[in-house]
Amino acid sequence: MNNPSTIVIGGGATGVGIARDLAMRGVDVTLVEKGNLTHGTSGRMHGMLHSGGRYAVTDQHSAEDCMTENRILRDIASHCVEMTGGLFVQMPEDDDEYFQQKLEGCLECDIPAEELTAEQALEMEPYLSEDLERAIWVPDGAIDPFRLCVANAVSAENHGARIETHSEVTDLLVEDGEVVGVEVEHKSGAGSRVHGNEGEIEEIYADHVVNAAGAWAGQIGAMADLDVEVIPAKGVMTIMNVRQVDMVINRCKPRGNADIIVPHETTAILGTTDEEVEDPEDFPEEQAEVDFLIEEMSKMAPILEDARTLRSYWGVRPLYEPPGTGTEETEQITRNYFVLDHDERDGTPGLTTVVGGKFVTYRKMAEDCADHVCDLLGVDAECRTAEEPLPGSEDDAVLSDAMDRYGLRSPVARRNKQRLGSRYDDVLSGADPNPVVCDCEGVTRAEVQDAIESVGTDLNAVRQRTRASMGTCQGGTCAYRLAAELHPEYDEETARAALEELYQERWKGQRHALWGEQLSQATLNHAVHASTMNRDRDPTDVSVDFDAFESRAVADGGESDGD
Amino acid sequence: MSKPEESETFDPVDLFPEATEMDLRPGVDKCDKNSNCETVCPVAEVNEDFPGPKFQGPEQWRLTRKGDLEFDESVDKCLNCMRCDTACTNGVPLGQMHNVARANYVDNQMNHASREFLRNKMLANYGTLGKLGSMMPRISNAVFGLGATRWLNEKLLGFPSERSFPDFATQTFRGWWSDRGGDATSAERAREAREARGEDGEDKKVAFFHGCYANYHQTEVAKSMVRLYESLGYEIAVPEQSCCGTPMFANGMLEDARGVAEGNVDTFGSLVEDGYDLIATCTSCSMALRKEYPELFDIDGIEDVASHMFDAVEYLRVNEDLEAELEAADVDFPAMTYHAPCHGEVMGVEGIITELFADVDGVELDDTGDVCCGLAGTYGWKEEKYDDSMEIGAEMFEAFEEAPGEVALTECPMCSAQIEHGTGYEVKHPMQLLETALVES
Repeated sequence: MNNPSTIVIGGGATGVGIARDLAMRGVDVTLVEKGNLTHGTSGRMHGMLHSGGRYAVTDQHSAEDCMTENRILRDIASHCVEMTGGLFVQMPEDDDEYFQQKLEGCLECDIPAEELTAEQALEMEPYLSEDLERAIWVPDGAIDPFRLCVANAVSAENHGARIETHSEVTDLLVEDGEVVGVEVEHKSGAGSRVHGNEGEIEEIYADHVVNAAGAWAGQIGAMADLDVEVIPAKGVMTIMNVRQVDMVINRCKPRGNADIIVPHETTAILGTTDEEVEDPEDFPEEQAEVDFLIEEMSKMAPILEDARTLRSYWGVRPLYEPPGTGTEETEQITRNYFVLDHDERDGTPGLTTVVGGKFVTYRKMAEDCADHVCDLLGVDAECRTAEEPLPGSEDDAVLSDAMDRYGLRSPVARRNKQRLGSRYDDVLSGADPNPVVCDCEGVTRAEVQDAIESVGTDLNAVRQRTRASMGTCQGGTCAYRLAAELHPEYDEETARAALEELYQERWKGQRHALWGEQLSQATLNHAVHASTMNRDRDPTDVSVDFDAFESRAVADGGESDGD
Repeated sequence: MSKPEESETFDPVDLFPEATEMDLRPGVDKCDKNSNCETVCPVAEVNEDFPGPKFQGPEQWRLTRKGDLEFDESVDKCLNCMRCDTACTNGVPLGQMHNVARANYVDNQMNHASREFLRNKMLANYGTLGKLGSMMPRISNAVFGLGATRWLNEKLLGFPSERSFPDFATQTFRGWWSDRGGDATSAERAREAREARGEDGEDKKVAFFHGCYANYHQTEVAKSMVRLYESLGYEIAVPEQSCCGTPMFANGMLEDARGVAEGNVDTFGSLVEDGYDLIATCTSCSMALRKEYPELFDIDGIEDVASHMFDAVEYLRVNEDLEAELEAADVDFPAMTYHAPCHGEVMGVEGIITELFADVDGVELDDTGDVCCGLAGTYGWKEEKYDDSMEIGAEMFEAFEEAPGEVALTECPMCSAQIEHGTGYEVKHPMQLLETALVES
């Protein structure tokens, strides 16, 4: 092997961003991730493409980075971004002075911002509270983290990288005080979904290792006895069934809890809270947090109080501050990021850790980290990730006439196009017939088959790529159809296991939405599945007395063909 | 909202035309995808290209983002029968969703210079056409009856040549009413009837929404209603009025509908303030005022009008002891088969007639069951929809063939046109049956 090599730990936005960047510079990259892509914080974020306005008063460095990256992402990841625009809304109890600081701060950070009257704001977003005083318009938007991470991973692969999902790092390999590789365990799961061998322990060696494990970065560091003080801070997000707003809505007050609504695809996501936890994997998820969120948000948008929620989920921020900073509240900790050179810092060469930062600045973090790694490896190549579009965002123009070609209903065609970007033609020409598999999200068989092709039987990964089962009925009417799409490539038992896994994941988030309409939805789902698929019993236990049917057919004088 | 990705300066643009700017997405929260709506859709049953009410309504609306002006063209195939709206167990506003989606489609996607648009505009504004036709009823009937006219209508305008245009009455109901002495005569007759019945009944006042059909075509229905109501002591007011708007809703012309709704709400709203209840003999008219107006328009007084609007049979069922009145009746009426109009089901009146006459001497009455006639107001009057219309109606035609009755009975003038067209039956309105039973016997 001639090229220098690097292992990237973590399949979140930062990890796939680094993998792509390094691969594009000619480094031989292997990315390992213990779950599927976005398994960690990237898959549990708000879906907000910050303008930086949120940090424009107290954390201007982060604010500037956000705005720069916001512009870049609109360009290179257009199929992952919906430029909704955003509002900072001042309620009667919010401070006038802060409003001014926000407006000025935005302008100082090169964030286009404009003051709106209450009437203007209400005309744009009629479901906001009529009590609002005024608002500031900023170029916030929505971004789909799944699509973005997948596109980065695909791009990395196209540049020769090896992406290993469901491969957990169990140890760092240290030789003579230098990190030289990782030990991973390839997890078994339903069907073929890892590129390594299932259940196998593999030792992977490389010239350098990057720890981009986010909230888990401390645990990785500990494997080489390194102290990486990541502060995991949990936050709850609640998904509404429909978009009550079409712009990002921020409360214009000092950064705090429960103050953002993001219109995300077909839904609106409310968030969030900020509370330090011990373990990023094991922390309490409490209904009181959800109740608090809805109550607070209803002050800005009263319609939310009685609106239907689909589910809630918790994400864990990988906050970091250099030792000795001593900030007390987690929401005050900088959203800046840090590239830690463990040789310089701890005398342990071979490992770089990247921590902190925002989802929106993932590319910049990746660039800085890749610059650092290239320096160490003696690779002389420029970063090209800010210019080169991601797969799916290459060419906007070819899409315009593709709408009618596949006989899709117009809202379905529109959503397919938005999700697939420039891959629209490629993917949709791949299935015929091409019925809608998930009615709630307008997901077609072609999209599902395309996703299955890249992730095998991992229906949760299919879900993240397509949005199938993420709508109103939470998979009640499409989960089994998704599983059926695995056949005939995979057998019945594998499809059943994949279905079970998807059901469990869908159920997890719904537990925090079981009142009103979503409770009745869950009840209906259960009743339908129980009565049609025997899912209230062991569905594989087929102890039906078929003879009884036969004898009845004979007794009725009808014919029976024996099945 | 402008597209900020193209420019970073804020530049609000109202992309939504006035009448169609309603955001109905929150209504999707009620949908649990149980598909009851799908099972009752008459179009989905005969046309496999039609995606059905669940898609048309909650699914399509949920997939909509602000600025998405395009609605799926299949909404043009919806009958506006509202059967899905009635069938929904969760209260999803399907009728409202279809109406607004259709209006968006017609406003933004339909070619306004096309033959279909022109034809639909004529159908939607039938009130105006009817007014012209009934000025010279005999000539109009002769001209519309000509084979050449029918041929031309199909070729030029897309009206199916299979259907014959309904005859204009030689005198409109309003003409008859005014010759008879108008509201004053009605008040007098009602007072006499109340005296004979030994009632004081100061509050027995109804305002009649006759709509187009009872005024220009089926005037006998309106006259029967008048004689029946007066005999029960009700004084009737017949104010100036416009079309109810039903054909405008069905053709996605919400701006036209808003115009007539504003006039009607103004007129009938003041009558409600004066203590009148409102009745109509056509279940589509009553449904428009009771359900569609408040769902689609924000007009001062609209809720009062809606809550005082009744179907003429329903109103008597609520306010009179019809069973007792009918006990003494001995009706000489041919055997009948009742067909409940879809909009009658929305009004909740579909069971009243069969129940009322179940035990009345001399009445033999059965019904066609829960089926749509397929004409659906203006739908069956479109050449390209004629086949679907007749296929939907097939189940009803069959029911009539199998039933022992010789006369058809229904509240809806358009159902009655379809029954005549598909079965050759003579069609009566329940008002005519009730008049025979209670006034003439």
